Amino acid sequence: MTGTFEETRANETMQEPGALLDCELSRRALLKSGALLGGSALLMSQLDAVFGLVRAAQAAPSAYPLALPENVIYSVCLQCHTACPIKVKILEGVAVKIDGNPYSAQNMIPHFEPSVPLARAARIDAKLCPKGQAGIQTLYDPYRIVKVLKRNGPRGSNQWKVIPFSQAVDEIVQGGTLFSALGEMHQVPGLKELYKLTDPALGKAMKTDAAATAKGKLSVADFKAKYPQHLGVLIDPDHPDLGPVNNQLVLQFGRIEHGRVELAKRWLAGSFGSVNFIEHTTICEQSHHIAYQQMTHQYKDGKWADGKTHMKPDAMNAEFILYFGTGFVEANFGPTPMIEKVTDGLASGRLKVAVVDPRLSKSAAKAWKWLPIQPGTDAALALAMTRWIIENGRYDAAYLKLANQAAAKAAGEPTWSNATHLVRMESDGPGKLLRATDLGIGGDEFVIIKDGKPVAVGKAPITGELEFSGELGGVRVKTAFTLLKEEARSRSLAEWSAICGIPAADIEAVARELTAHGKKAAVEFYRGPVQHTNGYYNAQAIITLNVLIGNADHKGGITTGGGHWHEVGDKLHGPFEMGKLHPGALTAFGHNITREKSRYEESTLFAGYPARRPWYPFSSNVYQEVIPSAEDSYPYGIKALWIHMGTPALATPSGDTALKVLADPSKIPLVFATDIVLGDTTMYADYVFPDTAIWERWGTPHAPPDVPAKASQFRQPTVTPLTEVVEVYGERQHCSMEAVMLAIGERLGLSGCGRSAFGPAGDFKRPEDFFLKFAANLAWGDKPGDAVPDASDAELKLFLQARRHLRPSVFDPSRWEAAAGKANWRKVVYLLNRGGRWEPWTDQFVTPQGQVVHKYGGVFNLYVENVARQKHSLSGRRFSGQGIYEPVRDAAGRAVEDAGFPLTLITYKEILGGQSRTLPNNYWLSSILPENYLLLNSRTAKEFGIRDEERVRLVSATNPAGEWKLPNRQNLAMVGKVKTVEGMRPGVVAVSWHFGHWGYGASDARIDGDTIPGERRRGTGLCPNAAMRVDPVLKNVCLTDPIGASSSFFDTRVRLEKV
Amino acid sequence: MLNEIVRMHDDLDRALAKPERQRSWVMVIDTRRCVQCFACVAACTAENVSPPGKPYRKVVEAEDGDYPDTDRFFMPSNCMQCDNPPCMKAANAHAKGAIQKRTDGIVVFNYEKLAGSGDAREAAKDACPYAAAIVEDQGGYHTEGTPRLEAYETRTFQEYDRTLRRTDTKGALRKCTFCQHRLANGMLPACVTTCEGRAMYFGDRNDPNSLVSELLRAHKGWRMYEEKGTRPRVYYVGYETRGTISVSTPAACAGCH
Repeated sequence: MTGTFEETRANETMQEPGALLDCELSRRALLKSGALLGGSALLMSQLDAVFGLVRAAQAAPSAYPLALPENVIYSVCLQCHTACPIKVKILEGVAVKIDGNPYSAQNMIPHFEPSVPLARAARIDAKLCPKGQAGIQTLYDPYRIVKVLKRNGPRGSNQWKVIPFSQAVDEIVQGGTLFSALGEMHQVPGLKELYKLTDPALGKAMKTDAAATAKGKLSVADFKAKYPQHLGVLIDPDHPDLGPVNNQLVLQFGRIEHGRVELAKRWLAGSFGSVNFIEHTTICEQSHHIAYQQMTHQYKDGKWADGKTHMKPDAMNAEFILYFGTGFVEANFGPTPMIEKVTDGLASGRLKVAVVDPRLSKSAAKAWKWLPIQPGTDAALALAMTRWIIENGRYDAAYLKLANQAAAKAAGEPTWSNATHLVRMESDGPGKLLRATDLGIGGDEFVIIKDGKPVAVGKAPITGELEFSGELGGVRVKTAFTLLKEEARSRSLAEWSAICGIPAADIEAVARELTAHGKKAAVEFYRGPVQHTNGYYNAQAIITLNVLIGNADHKGGITTGGGHWHEVGDKLHGPFEMGKLHPGALTAFGHNITREKSRYEESTLFAGYPARRPWYPFSSNVYQEVIPSAEDSYPYGIKALWIHMGTPALATPSGDTALKVLADPSKIPLVFATDIVLGDTTMYADYVFPDTAIWERWGTPHAPPDVPAKASQFRQPTVTPLTEVVEVYGERQHCSMEAVMLAIGERLGLSGCGRSAFGPAGDFKRPEDFFLKFAANLAWGDKPGDAVPDASDAELKLFLQARRHLRPSVFDPSRWEAAAGKANWRKVVYLLNRGGRWEPWTDQFVTPQGQVVHKYGGVFNLYVENVARQKHSLSGRRFSGQGIYEPVRDAAGRAVEDAGFPLTLITYKEILGGQSRTLPNNYWLSSILPENYLLLNSRTAKEFGIRDEERVRLVSATNPAGEWKLPNRQNLAMVGKVKTVEGMRPGVVAVSWHFGHWGYGASDARIDGDTIPGERRRGTGLCPNAAMRVDPVLKNVCLTDPIGASSSFFDTRVRLEKV
Repeated sequence: MLNEIVRMHDDLDRALAKPERQRSWVMVIDTRRCVQCFACVAACTAENVSPPGKPYRKVVEAEDGDYPDTDRFFMPSNCMQCDNPPCMKAANAHAKGAIQKRTDGIVVFNYEKLAGSGDAREAAKDACPYAAAIVEDQGGYHTEGTPRLEAYETRTFQEYDRTLRRTDTKGALRKCTFCQHRLANGMLPACVTTCEGRAMYFGDRNDPNSLVSELLRAHKGWRMYEEKGTRPRVYYVGYETRGTISVSTPAACAGCH
């Protein structure tokens, strides 16, 4: 029993003023344990505000409070990663309705100028998707945890006891036999044992020398001789490039976005000294980002660097958009910014769309053409289109001949490509780009053919021949364009058609349409083509279609969007240049646990091929590799795993393999989590700290490239957090990810936390000390004269009125003013009053020359040398620099074929759901869609004798039992209902990805001896991920794209068994 | 692209400057732009605190045609605010004044009278040809039976110029009010402002300069079950030109009707 008498009484009192509910209900609503909401936290914190407002409402019964600016706070959603600006409407201290922010370019077209009065903006709601609106139900989820929980049974048993925050932090930091009460006598190493390297100067020096050791420029013996006193700080002195023991703390983030990213990286790397900051990107769409990045890498000083990871069609102006494995309605980067631009074009006749997807999605429902492709063959379709486009001369030859930036500039083109650059043909295929030095005609410049002769590509404008194949100075060479043409022509249209399952006539029709609108056509893709073992190559083949029509930065082509102001203050160098405000910061170093951004060949672990596990030199955030690598202790074991806002077990293909590891304290001795509920994975933690929910906290998410305006939305608390108030550095604040970081900092004396943590800019003792500095930076802008106006006295008053319901534990105007800086305060208020800042709307954001205002302005690498020169870390074979077609492969590079499993499994998202949140626990949404189905074409169903609505079990080669293996719990059958439709490719089964929870309130929890019964409706439906194929070589992780590192969601062959 | 939300707000301000009887509210739905995103359903549910699982507004879908020549078709609907409302005649025969018609076109449900007469409720539901338009508030909350009954469900909300709680509507029939409480405060209906495809339009048909009047001049709009003489105030546009959109074949409607 942790609920106090006062809290209980407060709860009862609350029912009186408005006869909120009948007595029977109110009694049932009271929960004995205080670990979940239990009523007390919310009601205690908001009592005063509530009574005041109830009285006010009774005095003026017809007033509509939600139309008034004093009841509105603008913030930013995160129900999906689109992070739309929102207008949160507050009644009696409770957030009751969420709409879109009309000041935001993401929610209204055209959006309001900042000068529009707040009273008018309060009256005019902008659009928001249903997930965003249902944020109310994530915020007020009755299963939210508000106090710190320590496991009171084996990991995953969902038995807990409430312990004080300070005790939990002490235990995590000190370690010891923390679970002796459960008969577990193992020693848990505390974080203090991992915080080994504490000297910034030593770290900096070691980093340089460890990198030299990895590259073979310094011997391990010499390294050891240089640091004889300090070898103990390393994980393994024989492999200094693994870095310090500090790296054995790993932070794995399911969802973290700007603001918290900068804060958490500063803490993990700069304060604690670990490199292991790993986000979820590879279970999302990483190979898409990597392909864009590699194709837009710039070559500078002998290195490929920079580039853009994400481009989107200018849907407001396009005349044709071809979507591969995504659309404008569901998933992708958000229905809210995307849908209207497309439907407006469809209704006016300006735009036509085509959708490549095995499933007739809602986007495909609006399409001129639906192309139900065989999953994983996107490169075949793209190459077939490329073949037709090249053979029919429908590419932009003038654009492709531009060989450098100067030529592009002279031609009025914002971008150019390396189509004319020569590639060296090696015995194992195309290799490096030819350099002028190879022919003795210059230095490191690339080489083109001009008037039949090789010419170095210098700074002067130059165009080259698109096609060339021959020998120069004893080297066989071809242009990048010739290589593309040969690849496209390596199979006939009929052969490509047979692979991808799209009739040749449709391929031609779509290729013709793409090339019939000049540059006002675009090819868009996201998750569908890339969450495959061949994901990177699919992506490159698709992006190539855009390059062939030279549409980048053109009106109606592909664009990088409007960008954002820089919250870290690095452009204006103030008022808070955050990178310089961390005195005593450590320099983290060493290979990541996932071996991301590291080359196997440039490590002391290199011992020929195959490597024990893959290395991912091109990718970061290889989410699925964290726990399996820890199990294999490759490249090293980890001691502590912090899981934040994520559920790697549920959300990763064959993620149940991770549960086996998580359930075993001998594999990872300490697992703790920050979460808002007891999640499907976080229920396997030793400690769970309650986190603040999206609407209670801070952040600076960036707008997706679909938004043409420069945009900086700002997340801020809209209601008092429900989590318990804890004390850190003497400051009373709500338990949150930030509070846990600061409390660990307080115990260990970490730099960058506490008193004078920002040097001259003051203390870091509470979240707002950090985030309001970001707000100040955004308010001042990126250059002199770029600042927002000061808030007027009236606006300042409104600012306070709108926050009258916030408790001092979250809002104190004088404290906020001090954190933001007195001189910045009125500008910060102006920014907060609008929830951010947006560039004013101008003429669809296109120039009179027909180009977008915010340009990429760089090169497109039709041939990607950076990838071509890298070897596969297991097979030892070089990757291709082209977007080739490949079948499904395992970690060793061998083809995977599962005979006896006749169907291909794919997943998708309904508009109502994200991956692991929103559905089914947002009841407004789950009452529309209470469960999911296995979608099958009616012919396929007939072929296997399966009826509509029949229940079947999903079975694969690596999950013949068709169940989630849940250690220390009952296994969960992967059984669901079939829905037969016409809108599915025969032979493919699709399962939407939101359901099938065992945690998250779906099953009973025991807290302090009380049982919190799980809810049936939260456990409905089916999560298919456990059926996804385990890699036959690695055996504890899913299949993975070796280049882009995307985890494979859509390559598994399955069978449906009747139950 | 024009900001049609702002345009409709301006239309609304003009209409509100006139006496109620000179306003004629209509809703126009461009089905070509509807993608069944359900933003309108969520907004409606939150705005009106409608009973769990019984939103005032629905967006149904139908599949049409055999693979691969398949369409999916989406159809939003709510109370049509009929000028000849069958529900009114039927209910009032059992409980006088249970359903009334405002001069601006909105059909008003009297919750007390409807809660008090089972016959009136049955008659109203039976009479409405738009079956899904009327919902019965049988009490209950989404979060009932969970660890906590949430305040967003027990909060006050406004309908027909009244401040209510769910306890006040229990036992009554409920339906779309065109968000009359928002209109009275110079705000468009919640489904209109949140529509992600900009399929939803609202305004004063008596104002020839309003966007809805303009749309109904430009399109051959149609009304659902017009032949029944109900004279609904919700118009659908978008069928007459297939344009570049492959769906919107009225034949698909046969799947539901």
